[in-house]
Amino acid sequence: MLPTSAAPVTLAVAGIHKSFGDHHVLKGITLNASRGDVISILGASGSGKSTFLRCINLLERPDQGEISLDGEKLQMRAGKDGRLEPANRAQVERLRTQMAMVFQSFNLWTHMTVLQNLLEGPMRVLKRPRAECVEEAEQLLQRVGLYDRRDHYPTHLSGGQQQRVAIARALAMRPKVMLFDEPTSALDPELVGEVLKVMRSLAEEGRTMLVVTHEMGFARNVSNRVMFMHRGVVDIEGPPQDVFAAGASERFRQFISSHEERASA
Amino acid sequence: MIDLGFLTDTMGRLLAAVPTTLSLFILSLLCGGVLSLGIVAMRVGPYPALSWLARGYILVFRGSPLLIQLFLIYYGLAQFDVVRESHLWLVLRSPYACAVLALALCTAGYTAEILRAGLMAVPRGQIEAGLAMGMSRWTLLRCVIAPVALRQSLPAYSTEAVLMLKSTALASLVTVWDVTGVAQQIIQRSYRTLEVFICAASIYLVLSFLVVRAVALLEHRLSPHLRERPAGGTRPASKPL
Repeated sequence: MLPTSAAPVTLAVAGIHKSFGDHHVLKGITLNASRGDVISILGASGSGKSTFLRCINLLERPDQGEISLDGEKLQMRAGKDGRLEPANRAQVERLRTQMAMVFQSFNLWTHMTVLQNLLEGPMRVLKRPRAECVEEAEQLLQRVGLYDRRDHYPTHLSGGQQQRVAIARALAMRPKVMLFDEPTSALDPELVGEVLKVMRSLAEEGRTMLVVTHEMGFARNVSNRVMFMHRGVVDIEGPPQDVFAAGASERFRQFISSHEERASA
Repeated sequence: MIDLGFLTDTMGRLLAAVPTTLSLFILSLLCGGVLSLGIVAMRVGPYPALSWLARGYILVFRGSPLLIQLFLIYYGLAQFDVVRESHLWLVLRSPYACAVLALALCTAGYTAEILRAGLMAVPRGQIEAGLAMGMSRWTLLRCVIAPVALRQSLPAYSTEAVLMLKSTALASLVTVWDVTGVAQQIIQRSYRTLEVFICAASIYLVLSFLVVRAVALLEHRLSPHLRERPAGGTRPASKPL
């Protein structure tokens, strides 16, 4: 697959394989993200798209494959069971700080206030001074429209608000790449818009984003590339106008029409 | 008839033994708590040998009567010349120290299981959020896992603490003069079982109540996120950006 932009490759992922027991979930997935790319990863449930995203920051251990961020290759070695394992824990931790993740179920720390959720990473992991972190966290909360909720606990917020806090928490790490794992799938329909709006503004300011999603509007209108996965392989990948074009992929067309049926049902 | 003079006198003597009961309780709770951290770390850790050792410990100390554990430590260990000639004897010859040891060893087994339940109940997603942010295992334990797990363990732990408080009465059987020990002493001289034991029981009742309240207060302080949303919904921005 040809790179679609001239910017240098930020995240390079090559030949990722992953099995859960006998179930071969990922069968060699390759993806290069250049700076500023917003890549929507689509696919039916069970196609492996979330697993692929979680392999990138090693929340799942890929069995095979290579991952590098800004030219730095993640060191892996064969473990006792023949599958790969990270060779250098410190490197994994350092690379993870540069790949922030936003989860489907928000995963905010419920025992901390909104502001504390944003401070934890920068202060304890990046060891930045508190005053600086607080200032930046408050700016981020302003940006996602939740500055006045900074002393609230996550359980006191709506799903959409929690996800916006989670996005601000990810931004507080000043990541090079942001990984979104179905960020709107757990939300009530009327709350999806406020989260997508924040994500759109991130895309517009040129952040590098990988977004596993079911939001066709976002994939078509906001992302500059779309990757459609089917049963653990990439079925089609490219700019949205090409992928969404009639006749590009029969499987993708079926996927889209089942989505539209569900939306209109 | 109610003999007020006798009751006051009894109560006074029993209250004088409260410091012994309380110190037995606090010391064994502290030692047992520290020990339980080690046991639970072994139990959930990555090394099968240590995990089985911890399981064995928990099986033995939860599965046998505390009274027998206490007798084994106080009377049993004294049979061995090795023990009597070692430095350990300085501790083991004292009934008070043996009682603390037995209570601590026993509560450590229970507390380890309570903590393990708390650990298992930490939501996986909150751990993943820390991992995805690049937290080291130690930071993750300190900032995410431990606060959530300890908080979740508190209700079960308050029950364990009350059981421990009442178990300190067993120390009287190895000649420690705690509340129960003093009560029995008074009964042996006065033959007034009912009054004396009711006085003793009421002391334990008040102490247990205080323990339960103390843990409940701690629980309340540690769980602002489970309380009602602050009134008004928003707080005025003190520092507009």
